[in-house]
Amino acid sequence: MIQFENVTKRYGDATVLDKISFNIEPGQFAVLIGPSGCGKTTTLKTINRLIEPDGGRVLIDGDDTAVINRVQLRRRIGYVIQQIGLFPNMTVAQNITVVPKLLKYDKERCDKIVHEMLEMVDMPYEQYAHKYPTEMSGGQQQRIGVLRALAASPPIVLMDEPFGALDPMTRSSLQDEILRLQKKLHKTIVFVTHDMEEALSLADVIIFMEDGHITQMAPPEEMLKNPANETVKNFLGKHIAAADPSALTAADFMKTNVVTVDSKKGLRASTALMMRSNVDSLIVTDENDRYIGTLSVEDIKSCGSPDCKVIDLLKTDRETFRTTDDAKRCFDMLLSTKANYVIVLNPDDTLAGIITKTSIAKALAERLWG
Amino acid sequence: MYGMSLLRNIGIHLMYVLVSVTFGFILGLTLGILLSRAPKYSKIILPILSVFNTIPGIVFIGILFLYLGMVPMTVIIALSIYAMFPILKNTYVGITNVEQRYVEAARGCGMSNRQILFRVELPLAMPTIIGGLRMATIYTVSWTVLAAMIGLGGLGEFIYQGININRNDMILLGAIPAAVLAILLGVLIDLLQRKVTPRGIRKEEKSR
Repeated sequence: MIQFENVTKRYGDATVLDKISFNIEPGQFAVLIGPSGCGKTTTLKTINRLIEPDGGRVLIDGDDTAVINRVQLRRRIGYVIQQIGLFPNMTVAQNITVVPKLLKYDKERCDKIVHEMLEMVDMPYEQYAHKYPTEMSGGQQQRIGVLRALAASPPIVLMDEPFGALDPMTRSSLQDEILRLQKKLHKTIVFVTHDMEEALSLADVIIFMEDGHITQMAPPEEMLKNPANETVKNFLGKHIAAADPSALTAADFMKTNVVTVDSKKGLRASTALMMRSNVDSLIVTDENDRYIGTLSVEDIKSCGSPDCKVIDLLKTDRETFRTTDDAKRCFDMLLSTKANYVIVLNPDDTLAGIITKTSIAKALAERLWG
Repeated sequence: MYGMSLLRNIGIHLMYVLVSVTFGFILGLTLGILLSRAPKYSKIILPILSVFNTIPGIVFIGILFLYLGMVPMTVIIALSIYAMFPILKNTYVGITNVEQRYVEAARGCGMSNRQILFRVELPLAMPTIIGGLRMATIYTVSWTVLAAMIGLGGLGEFIYQGININRNDMILLGAIPAAVLAILLGVLIDLLQRKVTPRGIRKEEKSR
């Protein structure tokens, strides 16, 4: 268990950490997140005393870290940095066994560790153990970076934006990998990131920081449901909506730039409007913008007389929904009938917009991928 | 007829070079490491040292000669100090140029400062340090010619004699072996350079 008790850090006049307190349970995957300069990396580095706090205490399993020898402390805590930092003068095997060697493990035990570690990430020993970091891709290097942190089986592993410098594909495969390792090895992991997506997919608990304070500490689901303030909400951004599809309404998906025509207009004007706007049907409204019905190009064709008014031809059988209606109902209707659009009305019966199959696809894509 | 004395002087010359470069290397490496530990002081000390570096060797040997007299120690002290400069500078630059991420990773792994120095910083700085050694060795071969100025032998003897009795072949008898010696030692150090550069950073070095 990692405990922060009123930990404070100042640089000159600037307070980087302002009396922060929290606990991380054993085996938990805790993610520190927040805007840059919020103190998340500083918090991480106070755990292995790369940064010494000016006030307060950090306890690991009840022991105040301030009284443990720094160097000894760090050997018991795995550490992965963003820029990977594999030693370029050492082979993969030598890099992995840095900490075991510092702990004076014998050669056989070190060899065994290298074999086990490489096997864990499916990198064959024969192929990789004697490579130098520069001979591997960034993703492979950071895999070794993670293995180096795990090699001496520390109960706690600190990761400072470990995947920040990797391309999205590699990044997500390493995220899967770290989750798998975590499940298997039950480490307590403290992970710094500025990427909410990463935080949501990895964390058991997210610690959101702002200006040296903890704004919110909660499991991802809880944070999505009840973000503590606007900053957290902004950080969660698109994930809030995506996380809770039941909250989506017709208003979230409708298209609002709809071509409407007044019911008293003549057919000639309506046809001209259709041609100008490049549509095959119009929404008919009264003088107060209230919805009355729809008029399609087929409806106009069916009438022989040019003297017909819009009001005589319009169809009223189109499905209508309210803006507050569940989006799912609109979708079900669109998908189950031949209709290519449905109407969405404001509470006062005025036209709000329409939902087409295309707008569903577009809106879904936006929700999912931003 | 100069055969024997040529061999003897090459031997003396080589001895001066090897002894002074060894002392210079130990001195330069140690001071370079110490200065890299205290960047605050080195900002003051390094410029002062480079001023000393600009004092002509001939002046320095002359001054030492006044105090110590005509003994090999005079030459060796002077040459060691001159050999020290490039090694010291390269050691300092090599260590301080080691990327911070490696130092941070090492510290985070639980290495003590001494372990960081010997396991990470020095190995990564080694190519630069050996570069300094190479420079020092080649300079020292030519500076050792000055030993003859105070009558202490070496290949400079032929050169000074040649100048005195106005015989070019005599000058060349000293100059050519000195040049060959410099080239040979340079090649030897290049081989050493290859040996001490870890395979993982060899490519990087080439592209620099």
